[in-house]
Amino acid sequence: MFETFTKDARSAVVDAQLVARAAHSDQIDTRHLLVALAECDGPARTAMTDGGVDVAELVARTRTNIEAGDALDPAALAAVGIDLDEVTRRTEETFGAGALTRAGRILRGRRKHIPFTADAKKSLELALREAIRLGSKEIHGGHLLLGLTRAESPARRILSDAGADVERVRHLAEGGSAAA
Amino acid sequence: MSQQALVAAAAGDDPADGLRAVRALRELADRLEALQVERARRLGWSWQDIAGALGVSRQAVHKKHNRRI
Repeated sequence: MFETFTKDARSAVVDAQLVARAAHSDQIDTRHLLVALAECDGPARTAMTDGGVDVAELVARTRTNIEAGDALDPAALAAVGIDLDEVTRRTEETFGAGALTRAGRILRGRRKHIPFTADAKKSLELALREAIRLGSKEIHGGHLLLGLTRAESPARRILSDAGADVERVRHLAEGGSAAA
Repeated sequence: MSQQALVAAAAGDDPADGLRAVRALRELADRLEALQVERARRLGWSWQDIAGALGVSRQAVHKKHNRRI
């Protein structure tokens, strides 16, 4: 199925890995794919922009949302009486600046492959179906965006929380006119 | 959420909050372990010594850390 991806769709899938790595995510979900699509030039970004989405804001908001799910969660640690700032300070005395972040990279960074969630895999399958439905022989970023937003998903929720009219963005991603 | 509200949440009744705290503790322990094992190796500790200090088998600690350090 990968052969039929256009260049922008392929980079989105690859870039989603980089988004996950930067945020120390254990898995790639639909939000990582959304950030990758929004950051890459192509039909998906065009559909979002034409649909009135502030893409830079969407990317910032989604990255923050992803990072809030970082396993080293300060609020959750505070809830059991651990002050992460203090742990960080003491750890850095022995291991140097940024030691805990570096440790997160030791744990995950060298992992070649970060797995996709079932939801994210499903969205890629849906992208294929959207491409077939629209009579396209290739799967481009617009189809990926359609796949991400076809059913309820973290990506769809973030888009609509950012104030986007998801149905309109989907219409544009299908190749519909901006006037519709 | 205030500190008090968070403490109440952790000790309290919502499994989601409690599990989130457990996940964060595990992540913190894993990161500290990675740093400590890396340093111990650099200081010349054997895998056997490290395993003893961690209370696990030599095989377990070797398998977990050897490739990434």
